[in-house]
Parts: sequence; C-alpha cells; structure tokens
Amino acid sequence: MIFFASYSPLKLYRKIGLSRSIGLGLLSIIIISTVIGPDLVGHDPAKQDLLHARQMPNAVHLLGTDHLGRDMAARLLSGARLSLSLGILSLVTAAFLGISLGIIAAWFGTWTDRFLTSFADAILALPGLLLVLILMASAPGSWWLLYIGISLTLWVEFFRYTRQRSRIILAHPSVDASKNLGLSNYFILTRHIFPELRNGLFTISAFGIASAITAIAALGFVSVGIRPPMAEWGLMMTQLLPYWREAPFLILQPIICLVLTILSLHLSVGGFHKK
Amino acid sequence: MYKKLIAALLKRGLQALIVALIVGLVSFAMMQALPGDAAFRIAAGRYGYDLMDAAAAEAVRQELGLDRHWSLQLFDWLKALAQFNLGESFIYRGSVSEKIAVQLGHTLTLSLSALFVSILIAFPIGIYTGLNPNGWADKFFLQLSIFVRAIPPFAVGLTLVLIFSVHLKLFPVAGFRSFHHLILPAFTLGIGMAAVSNRVIRDSVLEAMHSDWQLFSRIKGLPSGLTLRAHVLRNAALPSVTYIGVQMAYLIEGVVIIETLFAWPGIGHALIHAIFGRDIAMVQGTALTLGLIYVGLNLVIDFLCSFIDPRSAKS
Amino acid sequence: MTLLSVKNLYVFIEDKQVDLLGPISFSLELGENLTIMGETGAGKSLIAQAILGSLPTGLKSRGDILLKGEAIDNLSPKKRAALWGDIITALPQEPWLSLDPLMRSGQQVAETHRYFKSYNWKEAKKQTEQQFKKLDLSDTAQKRPFQLSGGMAQRVAFAAATAGDAELLLADEPTKGLDSHRHDKILSLLKAIPQKGDSLLTITHDLDLAYALGGKIIILKNGKIVEEGITHTVLSSPKASYTQALCAANPSSWPPLSSCTISSKENILVQSEKLRIGRNKIAFIKGLDFCLKAGESLAISGPSGIGKTSLLDTIIGSIKPMGGTLTRAEHIGKWEIQKLYQDPPTAFPPLISLKDNFKAVTKKHKMAWDQLLQLLENVELDASILERRPSNVSGGELQRLSFIRALIAKPKILLADEPTSRLDLITQETCLNLLKKLCREENIGIILVTHNQHIAEKWAHNHIDLNQFCV
Repeated sequence: MIFFASYSPLKLYRKIGLSRSIGLGLLSIIIISTVIGPDLVGHDPAKQDLLHARQMPNAVHLLGTDHLGRDMAARLLSGARLSLSLGILSLVTAAFLGISLGIIAAWFGTWTDRFLTSFADAILALPGLLLVLILMASAPGSWWLLYIGISLTLWVEFFRYTRQRSRIILAHPSVDASKNLGLSNYFILTRHIFPELRNGLFTISAFGIASAITAIAALGFVSVGIRPPMAEWGLMMTQLLPYWREAPFLILQPIICLVLTILSLHLSVGGFHKK
Repeated sequence: MYKKLIAALLKRGLQALIVALIVGLVSFAMMQALPGDAAFRIAAGRYGYDLMDAAAAEAVRQELGLDRHWSLQLFDWLKALAQFNLGESFIYRGSVSEKIAVQLGHTLTLSLSALFVSILIAFPIGIYTGLNPNGWADKFFLQLSIFVRAIPPFAVGLTLVLIFSVHLKLFPVAGFRSFHHLILPAFTLGIGMAAVSNRVIRDSVLEAMHSDWQLFSRIKGLPSGLTLRAHVLRNAALPSVTYIGVQMAYLIEGVVIIETLFAWPGIGHALIHAIFGRDIAMVQGTALTLGLIYVGLNLVIDFLCSFIDPRSAKS
Repeated sequence: MTLLSVKNLYVFIEDKQVDLLGPISFSLELGENLTIMGETGAGKSLIAQAILGSLPTGLKSRGDILLKGEAIDNLSPKKRAALWGDIITALPQEPWLSLDPLMRSGQQVAETHRYFKSYNWKEAKKQTEQQFKKLDLSDTAQKRPFQLSGGMAQRVAFAAATAGDAELLLADEPTKGLDSHRHDKILSLLKAIPQKGDSLLTITHDLDLAYALGGKIIILKNGKIVEEGITHTVLSSPKASYTQALCAANPSSWPPLSSCTISSKENILVQSEKLRIGRNKIAFIKGLDFCLKAGESLAISGPSGIGKTSLLDTIIGSIKPMGGTLTRAEHIGKWEIQKLYQDPPTAFPPLISLKDNFKAVTKKHKMAWDQLLQLLENVELDASILERRPSNVSGGELQRLSFIRALIAKPKILLADEPTSRLDLITQETCLNLLKKLCREENIGIILVTHNQHIAEKWAHNHIDLNQFCV
C-alpha cells in the first residue's frame, strides 16, 4: 500500500512525484468536501425559490442558484455524493468479481478458464456505455439498474488483467518451486500473485471509478440516467444549457466538478493508462 | 494462419449473437414493462390520441399478438429478430430498417470524419514526441493529453459549442445541413481519441527507436533517415493501428452521446430519442445496429492485424 | 598498419562520475584478431559500445580511441555513425532481437548492399543470395526473424553486419545461448575474418571460444586488465592468479573424477527401465534405463530441445511416462524430491524479501531458524542477505540460497536443471563443488542436467548422453 507507507506529505511527494501528489491532494479535497460539505452548506438541494433564480454567487448562495432558485453548491455536492458513492460501489463489486474470477480462471485453467473468458468476451460484445444505455432503456432512472450495468461493464477489465497476469505468474518457475517445497496456496496467492497485481489493480480501479462517474454523467446528460429532481452533474448540464448566455457561470460549475474529479482520479495513479 | 482467422470469426460470430440476444431480451422486457394496456399505448403513439379508438387498439393487439402468453410472444419476438425483421416504428410511420439505413449513412460520415481528425492530430504529434522524448513538446503534450483525457466527450462537445458556436459564432450549434455542421462533432470525438492515441504512437515510436534492431540497422550501415522510414515507422505503425481498434468502443459510445448533443440525425441520436419516447422497435433496431457495427469493426481489425503482423498468425 | 588503438579508456556514469571500467589500452593491427575475456556482468560489452559510440544514455567514456590513426572519441555522434558498416561493424549479442521483426531476412541484408554499393535492388538481391548460399542460409531469405532458429538468426545478422565490408568487426558474446554444434559454425565464420585481412575484436566469457580463435587476448577483472598476450600462451600457462583460477574452473580442464565411494550401495532411490518420455503424445526419448542411489550423482547431457526438462518432470511425477517403468523408492515422501532451477532469480518470488520466503519454508518443514543460519554459514553466506529481495542478490549467491532452500525440505533426491549455465566459470565451479559436497554429506541422490559434456563427464558418478536415446 504505497499510499499509506509513508506518513509525512513531503516523503510521500518525493516517493510518488508531483502529478500523483496533485492528484491525491485533489482527490482528498473532493472526498472530504463530499462527506462533510452538504452539512456546511446547509441548503436543501431540492428546495426551489423561483424569486431568487439564477443568482450570481453571493454570501447566502456561495455558488449562486440555478434556474429554479436551488442552491448550486448544495446541488453540486449532492451530485458528487451520488456519483462518487455509486462509482465506488460499482467498482468494489466489479473488482471483487473480476479479481476473484480472474484468479479462478488462471488457477484452474481448462474449461473453467474457457467458460469465464467467453463470458467476459460476451460482455465485451457491446461497448460499455452502450450496454448500460440499453439496460437503462428498460427502466430509465432506476438506480439499481445503473449500479448493475456499470458493475457489469467494469468487472471485465479487472478479470482480464488479473487472469492474464496470474497466468504468467503461475507459469513462473518460482511458483513451481514454492509448490514443490510444499508451500500453501495461500502463500502463492499472497506472496506470488497479489504483490505483482497490486499496482496494476490500483490503476484499473482509479480509471474504473472515473469511467463509472463519466458514464453516470453521460447518461444523465442524455436524460436516460438519474431522473430529476435528483441533483446529478450530467443532468445539471442539460438543465442549465439554455441559460448559458444569461448565467454562464452556472453550466460551467458541473463541467468543472466532473473534469476535476476525473482528473484527480487519473493523476492519482500517474495520469495515463492506455485504455 | 487460417486457424487463427477462423477462431476470430467464431468469437465475433458468438459476440454478434450475444448482442442480438441482449438487445432482443431488453427490448422485449421494455415491451412487457409498458404501463397500462400496451396495445392502447402503441395505437395512441401511432395515430395520436385523438384519432384512435378501441378498434384501433384491438387491431394493434391482433397485429402484434399482444394477447398471448409472454413466452410465446418472446419466441415470436426473437424469431422476427433472427429474420432481420425489425418491425415498424411505434412513433413514426415506416419500417425501422428504412429509418436505420438513412441514419447509418450519417453516423458513418461522422465516425469516419472523427477518425480522420484523430489520425491527423495524433500521428504527427506522436511521431514527433516519440523521436524527441522528454523534450518540452513531449512534456507539454503529455500534460495536455492527460487533461483532455479527463474531459468526457460530451463535456468536450459542450465546451466546444460554448466557445465556437455560442461565443465566437463560428460554427452552427446543431443540425446537419452543411459541412459546417460536421466540424464541431467530428472534432469533439477526434480530439478525445487523439488525446490517448498520440501517446500510444509516441510510445511505440520510442520503443522502436530504443530497440536492438533499430541500433543494428544503424550499425550495419543504414543512415538514420532510411532506418526511420524502412524500419522504425513500419514497426511503430503496428501497435498504433491495433490501438485504433481499441478506440472503436470509445467511438461508438461517443457517437451516441455526441449525436444527441449536436442533434446529428444518426443512429445514436435515434437510439436516445427512441428510449425517451419508448419507441421500442426503434430502440431494438438502433441498438442492434450499433452493437453489430462494433462487433463487425472488431472483426475487421482482427483480420487487419494478422495481415499486417505475420507473427500474430504463429502464436 | 594499426587499425584501432585504444589508450586509457574508461567508461563512467555521467552523473555520479563513477568508473565502471578502465583503464583499458590495446591496439589492433589490420588482419589481426583480439579477444577480450572476462566474467559476465563485468561490463565487457561497454568496451565495444565505447568504440562504436553507442553507449547507453547516462554512460560516457574518456581516453583516446584512434581509428586508422585518427581520434574518433570526440567526433559528433553523426560522424561516428557514418563509420558504421563502412569501417566498423558489430555482430549483435542478441541476433533475434537485432533483426527487424516484420521484415524478411533477405531484405534486411539486401538493403545494406543496396545502400553501400548503390546497386539497384536486383543487383543487391543477387549479392544477398550469394552471401546466403555461403552461409548455408539458402532457404532463409523469405523468412522473417520469428521463423528462424537462434543459429540462423545469428548468421543472417552476420551477413547484414558484413555486407558493407567493414574492416573491423566487433563480436559481443557471439556464442551466447548456442549449443556446441552452432558454436562451431559461428567460430569458423569469425576465424575467416582475419584470414580475409580484416580485423576481429571478440568479447566473450567463453574460454573455449577464445582458445579456438587464437590471436591475442586480454583478460579483464573488475574492469581492469590483469593479463594480456598471445592467446595460446596466456591460456596454457597463465601468470595472473585470476587467469589461473579462470582456466582451472573451465570444465574441460577439470581433473577427472577420483574413484567414487558411495556410502549406501544398495539404497536405490529411483530406477527406470525402457522409459519412454514425451509431452502431448509426442515422444522425445525412448528406451532409457537408469538408476540413482542415495549419495550418488547422475549427469544427463544433450543439446537443447532434446527433452531434458521433460525427463525431470517425469521423475518428479508431474508428467506420466509414455511407456516403460519408472520406480521411485517407497520411502520417498511428497516433498523429498526437490529441484534447482536454471535461472536462479526466477526461482524466488520476486516482490517479497528472501526472509519472507525462507520463513514460510522453514515453518512448513519444521526447521528452527538457527539451524537455517547455521546452513547459511556453511555456504559462506551472511544472514543479512535474507533482508534483500532476489533482484538485489547476485546469481551465484542466489543459486547457493536455492540449495539451502531445497535442503530445508530434507530431500532424498535433488533434480538440478542446468543450475549453473547462467553463472561465470569460477562461480560455476564453486557452486557445483558445493552442491556435490552437500549432497554427499546429506546422502542425497542428485540428477544434474547439463548441456556441457565436460561437466557431465567429470562431475558426476554416472553419465547419460541423451543423444543415444533420442526418438
């Protein structure tokens, strides 16, 4: 766990470099404000006040109000809560499924492997977002379907990575040596496989959460995902688009929030992953 | 060699079947989930509430066989799908296939233009930064790529619209009447793809430049320009082309969202519209077409790769 | 005429100003043949790279390098590259990786001919054909590198490197990874270079190759010259202690095995009769009879790909014999057949400390930690080495650690698959002697697989040449 290995920020910075430090810093700020922010802001994200619609940022409404007079700060934070919690929840589900099935496929090989790989190929038959979109078509706005759809598309990468790496590791002479010496499967799992998978899985996780958040926003943007009056970033963009000329600062807010969140996730694992 | 191609054909064929099955099942489920009397709703959608009556609803019921057990309906549904009978739109008059044939042309225009834009941007930058690694240009484009990569396609599109259409008034916001309409959506998708592919190209050029065979080509006497042309670029092209294949998923996903943003009358736009209007036949038709295009493109790339790289045929 | 002269050459790390090797001085006349000999990992290849001007980034050289009397060490990279192919050329260490993976091998040679002699393609192809014919490569022109064997790839690289008729050929470890048959082929090619009037500079750790090449030799240790002179004189009566140790460690000069005394003559561990071995229903070996007793050593030799590893897998029981019988003594327990691996670094989990690994093994086999420390002391290893990861430990130390690790399981049989083929001559001898001593002390029967005929004959009690049992 490289993130927690060193306690002083300076040490950490030296170890992981500037861009990852920025990413982690930004990510911590986003997570902390998502957790405690709604209480600090104090406004109800759903409360309309048509007399005070489209206000510039002021002392009462830190980031202004939207076209229905709802507090922007409260809505953005509520959107962040929704995206992050759904993103993390789907990721945990996907990672658990993908990693365990990946190891099972690599370990047992033969038909188990063939079956699981075909299953993964089947999921890959449709681009991820399209699969979620089609699922969402049968019940637009359903939180559960969104969760299942996103998890279903995310697990494949965990599976493919884990399976492929584990196959290489298990074919390595050192594993043969450990088996020959009578060391347990637990030893092979924790000392041979996990240390080698760790960094790659971190990267896939960060990018996985990012693409989950993107998918949620994209579906919201085309009005197929989360439904109004819930506050969701993509949905807010669509709703605020008509007011661009009068209140440009409004539509920019969810865009900036989305981009910063994704950027911080990407940067926290080094910024680049060719997928 | 042929074994490999047949395996690819089988795998993609299976994927095509799965696409059809998923799309078929989901659209059937949508059908069953329609609230109230389905026949009534469909008839209302077709003829309008004013012009319909119980007789029209009954006609629809008979036509679609909506009074039978759901398993029989599912069987019929999938059978029609297997015969490529996509049915009629619930909302517009006319068969789904005809609609899709028109939309497909628009979608292909947009996708190919986007691909062209991405290649135009990514190859020069990738090759230059690969040949001059760790220079200022390399660092600049790395940061830029990371930044652009973090902006989802619809946010890129939205930003481009806000800047170029609304603010600078250079390009129209939406629609598809002229070449002008194509520029913003094509750039939106193209920039997004180039943000990653320029780094992939850079890495493959760099790897080729650091390879043993590059050095040996120089040592046996070939000058740097000739080595670059005859060996480095050829080898670097391989992972780059393969990567463009990987980006097909991004392209298809992007098309759906971007067409909607720019009101580009392609399949993606139609799909979102159909989901919104509960036009189930259209949802099924468009989703199926997009899915099959994706599988088909992957098959083309499989073939292309084993054609370019003789090694892949062996392993 | 002096073709190349090197004076006080050092190679150093630019940032840290640390010398990796030097001072090196020598001169090479036209038509002469010089071999630079030293242990692996001592940076011998850096000499070739410094002369070529192709040192990796971060490394620099100082000292004088004169080619035909003109200093080339301070020329711009571009001007140095202009000498390549024309005056200096090099035979790559990894021929497979040095050929363009996508291009047909004939084309890779023809393009050099075409460039140097401004031939048209037709003429260049003709030249290539003639060259391939001489090198026994007639059917190879249309093949791509992945379709070539190691020896073929090396000859294609040889053809490409010499297409420009350069006066100086640098050959860096030309016999690496080749078995004895291919070894002879490349040797005859190299020998032809000085006969043609060109010069050859060979860098190798292979004593037999150096001896066969003749000419002059330089012996390096820790990046410094310890001895130089006429090859045959130096190698037959070495003066420096390092050279003496090196020559003595070469298996071909090992003393023949003294009469063996086996403690328990009747204690048969494993025995085979008319054994037939193969994988995926394809047999490699047939009619093999052997017998291994406790405390005895058996060497199995043969060229690569003959099925040595499959034989070991059959003995350990991970693949079934295809025919004949293989009987293991009943008292041999599940963990009492242990293995030693060819490449020591790959035999340990790479990302955990050695201590972590040894803790698990001692716990499994109920050995006290102190007892392990005692074992380490016996093989002259410090306990602090266990704090490191395998990648920070040298190959020789790692191979000794893997003996120890195998001993923890108290084996009755030890299977060693080319355990020293990646080690230096001197380290190889130390390791093999240690292995023999430990096995005798613990009364372990050992089977050693090797491609080196001399080791097989002089190290083990019994020797089987698999060539005789080949299908």
